[in-house]
Amino acid sequence: MDNNHFIFRITLAFILSFSFSTFAQTDWVKWGKADYTYQINNPVEQRNYSFDLSNPGRFLLKSFANAYWLFISDVDGDNCSFSPTCSNFFIQAVERTNIMQGSLMFFDRFTRDMNIFGKVNHYPRVPGGHFFDPPSLYILDSDSINYIPPSVVVKNE
Amino acid sequence: MKKLFFTILIFSSIIFSQEKSHLANDNLFSPTNIKRFADYLFCLKDYLRAANEYERILSLVQNDSIEFKIALSYLEMGNFSEASTRFNSIKKSSSFYKSAQAQSLKSVFQTGDIVQFRNQYLDINSNKAYLDSAGMASLYMFSFLLTEEPLPNEDEFIKTFPIAEKSKIKNFYDWKQDPLEKSPLKAAIFSAVIPGAGKIYANEYSDGIYAFIATLVAGYLAFDNFKAGHDFRGWIFCGLTAGFYAGNIYGSAAAVQIYNARIRFDFINELKAFLEDKNYFLQVFNFCN
Repeated sequence: MDNNHFIFRITLAFILSFSFSTFAQTDWVKWGKADYTYQINNPVEQRNYSFDLSNPGRFLLKSFANAYWLFISDVDGDNCSFSPTCSNFFIQAVERTNIMQGSLMFFDRFTRDMNIFGKVNHYPRVPGGHFFDPPSLYILDSDSINYIPPSVVVKNE
Repeated sequence: MKKLFFTILIFSSIIFSQEKSHLANDNLFSPTNIKRFADYLFCLKDYLRAANEYERILSLVQNDSIEFKIALSYLEMGNFSEASTRFNSIKKSSSFYKSAQAQSLKSVFQTGDIVQFRNQYLDINSNKAYLDSAGMASLYMFSFLLTEEPLPNEDEFIKTFPIAEKSKIKNFYDWKQDPLEKSPLKAAIFSAVIPGAGKIYANEYSDGIYAFIATLVAGYLAFDNFKAGHDFRGWIFCGLTAGFYAGNIYGSAAAVQIYNARIRFDFINELKAFLEDKNYFLQVFNFCN
């Protein structure tokens, strides 16, 4: 074989192999099936255990709530069918109104929570499946009522 | 044999070779072809890309029907302020001018700014030569149903609507005049007399029954514990009874407020559905058939 011809072939093979490796697929991570989970996408309400030192009443209320969460609710599990949960509802209600009105709102909520028949087609739901029932609906201010039909899934609480 | 083979090969190559498209000699980006593509996108309801294609035509030639379609695309996309601006930019000399004015009003209406809608309507209405149809008058009158303002006189109100819609409009008028809302005070009084009665008044039947049972059971437990000499437990249940009782009175008033909010919500939804169904009393443009 002609020497020049041989060099030409080698060079050509060299260039080709370089170009192949240069432009070849760079994604070397093997594709595979995604990890799946049967866990319901239900972000558990984050507890805020901080103490409210702004006044003695709030400090007392938050202390009771923290104790309830720590020793009873967290141990018992995620059982309240509402979002916010009844204890959180109580705290938010007191924060938005006062201890008297907040307590009345809590007793009303507690009664509604006992109702095992009337919730399904009555409240909208949050993505985790809980019934959405914020205190803003119950502060007796019609302007603060943002009515959401039961068929809606509330994304931003 | 070879000759036959090559002859067949040449013939089949010629026969089955790709036929030149008739578009190959055309300019694919001519206004006609862009319009054809834009219309196709418009009819697919891909309004964003349709508007972009129509804009390309406008950069080549001026055309009022293209301007109108761009505005319609924005309207369909829900970009009402842009749609209104585009409709308003259509010149008086255009055959689309009257329709554009009407569609512009519809766009403003759909933004929810009823005050601006009425001002614009009155402004256009002052020069009746440019106003398209009684449809706008109907929409103007209809806007009173969506605000808290007092309604005009019933006859004056209903006469602006087409005959076929009058009965439905009368229903809306009556609904607005008397929305069948309930009184929170009444609910509270009912629950004060019989625990849970206020909830039933607010159509919350099961909540009412549960409130009645909760109050009754807690009350009985308080009574029974006092009777048995368990005063401490008696006071606890006494407190619970008071809580359930007072909470239910409060909750009944709140339940009625939510009931009233639901009535208003349903009313507004019905109005909007009706308007959509009637295309806001405006002419329907069908460029796709």
